[in-house]
Amino acid sequence: MPIEIPTLNIAALTPFLAVTVTAFVVMFFELFVNDKRILGYLSLLGLAVAAISSVMLLGVSPAPAFQEMAISDGYALVLNLIFIVTAALSILISLSYLGDRALQRGEYYALLLFSTGGMMLMGAATDLIVVFMGLEIMSIALYVLAAFNRRKMGSGEAGMKYFILGAFASAFFLYGVALVYGATGSTNLSAIGNWFTSGGGDLTDPIALVGLSLLLVGFAFKIAAVPFQWWTPDVYQGAPTSVTAFMSVGAKAAGFAALVRLLMVSFGQAFTLDWQIAVAALAVVTMTGGNIAALAQKDIKRMLAFSSIAHAGYILVGVVPGTIDGVQAVLFYLMGYAFMNIGAFAVVAVLEHRVAISSAIEEYAGLAARKPLLAAAMLLFMVSLTGLPPFVGFWGKLYVFRAAVEANMSWLAVVGVINSAISAFYYLGVVVQMYMRPAAATEDGEEVVPISLSGPVTITLAVAVIITVILGIWPTPLVNLTSLAVFG
Amino acid sequence: MPFDPSQIPIVQIVFFVMTACAIGGAIGVVSSPNLFHSALYLVLSLFGVAGYYVLLSAGFLAVVQLMVYVGAIAILILFAIMFARRLMGQGENQNNQQWWLSLPIVMILFAVLVGVVNTVSWPVSGAEPTGDTVMELGHAFLGSYLIPFEVVSILLSVALIGGIFLAREKVEAEEA
Repeated sequence: MPIEIPTLNIAALTPFLAVTVTAFVVMFFELFVNDKRILGYLSLLGLAVAAISSVMLLGVSPAPAFQEMAISDGYALVLNLIFIVTAALSILISLSYLGDRALQRGEYYALLLFSTGGMMLMGAATDLIVVFMGLEIMSIALYVLAAFNRRKMGSGEAGMKYFILGAFASAFFLYGVALVYGATGSTNLSAIGNWFTSGGGDLTDPIALVGLSLLLVGFAFKIAAVPFQWWTPDVYQGAPTSVTAFMSVGAKAAGFAALVRLLMVSFGQAFTLDWQIAVAALAVVTMTGGNIAALAQKDIKRMLAFSSIAHAGYILVGVVPGTIDGVQAVLFYLMGYAFMNIGAFAVVAVLEHRVAISSAIEEYAGLAARKPLLAAAMLLFMVSLTGLPPFVGFWGKLYVFRAAVEANMSWLAVVGVINSAISAFYYLGVVVQMYMRPAAATEDGEEVVPISLSGPVTITLAVAVIITVILGIWPTPLVNLTSLAVFG
Repeated sequence: MPFDPSQIPIVQIVFFVMTACAIGGAIGVVSSPNLFHSALYLVLSLFGVAGYYVLLSAGFLAVVQLMVYVGAIAILILFAIMFARRLMGQGENQNNQQWWLSLPIVMILFAVLVGVVNTVSWPVSGAEPTGDTVMELGHAFLGSYLIPFEVVSILLSVALIGGIFLAREKVEAEEA
């Protein structure tokens, strides 16, 4: 029996390979380099290569790679750019944040790159096995990153909690894959879709639908949708802030990446028939649950954790219609969310110096007087996260809600708008603390510790502010980019 | 009716024995108050699954299941428990106060799954099992499943790097 050399089309996976190879290179140089920050810049270089190759592939017609296991269509490539932006901004935060904490290590950057590679694989995968591989690479790297600050109990707790609950979610996901395979006889996303439409499959086949619901559970955990969100606040609070910034956007975007492709390509008809209502219900409880819980938070990292749950709900609103417009609105939202949310976490990272300010919201009092520019940046991110014009958060919400209205689900958009109003309370609460409350009086003999704003985190803040404002005033470039996101 | 040894439904008997091992072992894992016993029950459960593979003519998978899961992983778990002496204690209750809350949810899920499994006519492949599964698997790994096969090595590298980092050295005093 001769061995047939399979056709590979390695070029289609260049961004993934660039990031993964860089991760191995970083591990190699970790042996020789004393100043580990060089490795952070090396990682940025790898991400730049991945970004350039993604943009170049956008001009090429999509080709399936590795026997229909993955594809580099517009959808995957736009997602790649979201992951690269997320990783790059997080690395810039890390270069400052870890330096303060003697945590500056090569493994950190390698794991962050591996995780980014896993996300890219999830976006490009057209087979459930590859989706699972990407999911596990991303998750295992994130478990370790969450526990990276070994001097802090909370960090270890975050890693452990995320690991155990994540393992459960993976088990649900695998059970779902097994049932879908049992019903349709394939793990390939298009083959599953064909089985429903022309392969004699039944749209109400109970095994496939139970399988789909188990897959939904697995994804809902990764995107932190209610009621699978219990891990989120503890993990986001305990993990190093630079990691929190990375996973609050990256893991969410990757979960949506694979979920949307699965729903659109495989379960297209079954989804629009009677699964819309299930996902819509998930969106409603996620938005409302996240926002109401966020109202009660005293710690800014916990508050941002619950707010990220609420944002998962808004993004789900764009998934519900099952239209390509909805998908592109989701990608627009994710890209905008990457800038504004990581920007907010960058402010937290700057302030959360061991001796300056803890992450309690009360300690933000009087910040406007101490650091006017930093407070102004935080104000801008909070307003954008609320969804008010003229910032990118407004357009993100506008597009996902419009997709729902066009699919005759106006009630869903109304729930979303009400939730945005609720979210204004806690976002603007931070602003009130910063601008209208005086700083707590210092006790005698206690010096006010200066807040040092220097180094790479400034670049993150500047980029996040500029993009949030520019895309808020002129969203056309991002709209044009996301309009390239079609399934191949 | 005279006793006819050839009439003994040997496959069915093996199936039920293996099922008893797999399910009984699984129940033992989650109900035993002793962590060490739980690990031993896990061996039993994994052994039962290996028996299924034999019955399905997937000999290679059965051997892999025995060597990797029963042989390596279970032994690793037992060693880990023995190294962490505190876990060896008796009478560790596996349930917390919320067990009664999850019970109805689990029962509903179980009922749904049983109902679905019973109502569905599963697709059955009429093809004979191939004799040489190793060769087939080799071709699949280097053919249609090349990318998952290669990507697993990245996954293992990530797990290795992470495991070494977390376990490497002692850390100094915690900060608040």
